[in-house]
Amino acid sequence: MSPLTELTEYILREIAVEHGKESLESDENLLSQGLIDSMGILKLVSFIESNFGIKVDNEDIVPENFETLNDMSRFVEKKKNK
Amino acid sequence: MNFEFTADQLELKNSAVRFAQKKLNGDIIARDKAGTFSKELWKACAEFGILSLPFSKSYGGSDCDIITTLLIMEGLGYGCKDSGLLFSINGQLWTVQMPIFHFGTPAQKTNYLSKLCSGEWIGANCMTEPSSGSDSFALSTTAKRDGDHYILNGSKTLITNAPIADLFLVFATIDKSKGFMGVTAFLVEKTFPGIIISKEIEKMGLKTSPMSEVIFEDCQVPLANRLGPEGNGATIFNEGIEWERSCMLASDVGVMERQLEECIKYAKIREQFKKPIGKFQAISHKIADMKVRLETARLILYKVAWLKQTQGRAGMEAAIAKLYLSESLIQSCLDAIQIHGGYGYTAEYEVERDLRDSISSTLYSGTSEIQKNIIAKYLGL
Repeated sequence: MSPLTELTEYILREIAVEHGKESLESDENLLSQGLIDSMGILKLVSFIESNFGIKVDNEDIVPENFETLNDMSRFVEKKKNK
Repeated sequence: MNFEFTADQLELKNSAVRFAQKKLNGDIIARDKAGTFSKELWKACAEFGILSLPFSKSYGGSDCDIITTLLIMEGLGYGCKDSGLLFSINGQLWTVQMPIFHFGTPAQKTNYLSKLCSGEWIGANCMTEPSSGSDSFALSTTAKRDGDHYILNGSKTLITNAPIADLFLVFATIDKSKGFMGVTAFLVEKTFPGIIISKEIEKMGLKTSPMSEVIFEDCQVPLANRLGPEGNGATIFNEGIEWERSCMLASDVGVMERQLEECIKYAKIREQFKKPIGKFQAISHKIADMKVRLETARLILYKVAWLKQTQGRAGMEAAIAKLYLSESLIQSCLDAIQIHGGYGYTAEYEVERDLRDSISSTLYSGTSEIQKNIIAKYLGL
């Protein structure tokens, strides 16, 4: 499974469901909708670290890396290839 | 498991007790009544090394590990009766110095962390706003880029140390549409144009720790004074507040130990119905409860200190420590007053001041209800 698919499934299952969302577009802005909040990001970072075996530094938690599913997927790929 | 500390660690704790008892308690009843902050005592704490404990020697710190740091803070709380002073110190240590230490550029650390470690400058964390307390990232203060500056507009309230601060760690949003990831952190000096320190806020307790509103009216902040990247402010704030929740109440474990000893002493000498009140189970059981709370609070504190030292992140454990230690502190203060009877209600006996000083512990750094929300969230609820 690609990082994009895994991230989409995780966010739908663990985060978006609380907001009544049943599907997500890969370029959908998750921050402006409040789908990912300050507590949700902690769960998400924990998932990314354990699932993809990468370390998410505090400085990485910025909109460029978490605004959309595409941003997250690119971020994970970049970290994995480092 | 090994619960022992080294002889060096215990000596550092004991030296903090001796320092506090000798230097920090003079005229505390009068200073509490007048609500007077003592810069002289602040400087004394800095000279003793309190403000520099966990930071790198490169920036005026002492390179002390977190477990030892908290042991020293516990000793300080045991010896020092000025909880307001300790509150101000803790606020600066964990939510101003620690974020600069972890997120600052070398220049920011050289310029600011060194001055905060030495006691030359005092720092204040500016997050809370009139309309955003527990929902802190719903803040309204804005930061707009303008050439080589940001322009800050908005107001902050309940800001500890604001009336005496030289440096303010300010959180503002650069883009509301990005939610909590629009929040960005700035280091604002009190001399920057457009920062106004407003009226001092009178409080129930911690009266020697000054607090006020801070207003930003087209406040100009150089680009070099942004702390961390744009949009990283929420992470910086969360990191600082996790340190605060983990460590701030270490000094109150010392307070609880002092209270326990004073209650035991009083229960042995105070006689009613021809025997010491400690011989009545109504009193001795209360003291036993105080001891159990002290020991459990201490274990939780040491556990979170160990986690912070060895693993870095400890979000849930920090919330547990904050919740349990603050609730235990208030109950310990209530028990101490009840054991002292009518005398406990008087300023002279110095028991009532501890209660007034303790009440805010379930409010600041996230209320007890917010700590329970965090714990529940970590449990998947």
